[in-house]
Amino acid sequence: MTDIVKLIFDLLIFPGGLFAVVFGLFLMGIDRKIAARLQRRVGPPVYQPFIDLVKLTRKEIVVPETAHLQAFRLAPLLGFVGMMAAVTLIPIAGVYQGFEHLGDLLVLLYLLSLPAIALMIGGSASSSPFGAIGFSREMVMMMSYELPLLIVLVTVAMKVGLATGGIATFSLSEIVQFQLENGALLFDYTMLPALLAFLVFIPGNMGVVPFDIPEAETEIVEGPILEYSGTGLALFKLMTSLKMVVVLGLAIALFFPTPLGENFLINLLWFFLKCLVLMVISITVVRTSTGRIRMDQAFKFYLKYPTVLALISLVLTLLQG
Amino acid sequence: MKKLLQKIAKKSPWLYRINAGSCNGCDVELATTACIPRYDVERLGCKYCGSPKHADIVLITGPLTARVKEKVLRLYDEIPDPKVTVAIGVCPISGGVFRDSYAITGPIDKFIPVDVNVPGCPPRPQAIIDGIVEAIKIWETRL
Repeated sequence: MTDIVKLIFDLLIFPGGLFAVVFGLFLMGIDRKIAARLQRRVGPPVYQPFIDLVKLTRKEIVVPETAHLQAFRLAPLLGFVGMMAAVTLIPIAGVYQGFEHLGDLLVLLYLLSLPAIALMIGGSASSSPFGAIGFSREMVMMMSYELPLLIVLVTVAMKVGLATGGIATFSLSEIVQFQLENGALLFDYTMLPALLAFLVFIPGNMGVVPFDIPEAETEIVEGPILEYSGTGLALFKLMTSLKMVVVLGLAIALFFPTPLGENFLINLLWFFLKCLVLMVISITVVRTSTGRIRMDQAFKFYLKYPTVLALISLVLTLLQG
Repeated sequence: MKKLLQKIAKKSPWLYRINAGSCNGCDVELATTACIPRYDVERLGCKYCGSPKHADIVLITGPLTARVKEKVLRLYDEIPDPKVTVAIGVCPISGGVFRDSYAITGPIDKFIPVDVNVPGCPPRPQAIIDGIVEAIKIWETRL
């Protein structure tokens, strides 16, 4: 019985649900503020994303006549629920254990592709030509950034697995435990290329400016989410902010989960600080300092640099082990 | 509760621009107002959005030519409901220099309810921002 209560608590209040939503929206707000300061503007207040969500819930919902209704309505829910489940899998060292299953890294890999799939379903069900273009671009983007991500995950799993006497460990809590005992993987020279590959993967997955090809605002007017209004759009915004928490949390769990002492609150703040630094490096600065590139350029970029970096890390790990 | 939500929600007006056959002067003025760092409208919570489905405040420029009339009316219907219309420039009021032309179907408020007029050819950026602030005040009562 207590197990079920704990599960519901995990899913709805603390690592998932309420906490993750607030955390993600605050990260988004800080991102917008820092981007504005980098462009010498004042920028919106940090709580602007909350205001946007409140406003969106009070708007009328407009559905295109030719849209496929069920798919159109369910797509944002699919992405939102998938991300909500993914948040509970991320362990925060010193605060939250994560699910202690054998292959939660693989489950996370599948859950991470859900937002892109939700965008694809929504875009294609909306029967808008811009949605269809966004759908095809989203698919190509997903195919290009999933490969380096997969290689990075396998590299970390093999590193930990080989060091503990097995072959590969696909359990996030075991990976975090290993790093707590033997030092963070960030300080291991064989893992630096993998870390770089992951840093390059983050803007592609988040769909920020150099890689915002699927929802190019000035070109195909936000692509898949073009036809959404009101609560549907709000769910998509929530999904994006939760995805930010999941991706940054995954990076921290894989490379630098070390907590500060025993205190629960200090560890949580430390996690927030790490997320913030990672976000500024890999999202905010990147999106304020670049322009959009073409689809084929992005595809070639992802197959050339992050994949090769991740492969170097994998080979080094295998040679060591 | 409803009052509180109204008060919170009024701080996030998203802008959408319709060009109803204008000479592009007002459009350039609008783009510089809302996009460049100097007159940062984002600090009011505004965001330029590309899709009419996301918009709250509609900025219309131009005298509504016969050719774009149907499209503008369709676009206006697509915008979800608590919405405010701001007409930018002198053309939407009277037709401006294009007045009495055979290509003009007349002032915009014959077809679309206009809430705020920002006259000028083209209006100054400060005037446009002032018009947006007026529109936010009207929008609050409709939420």
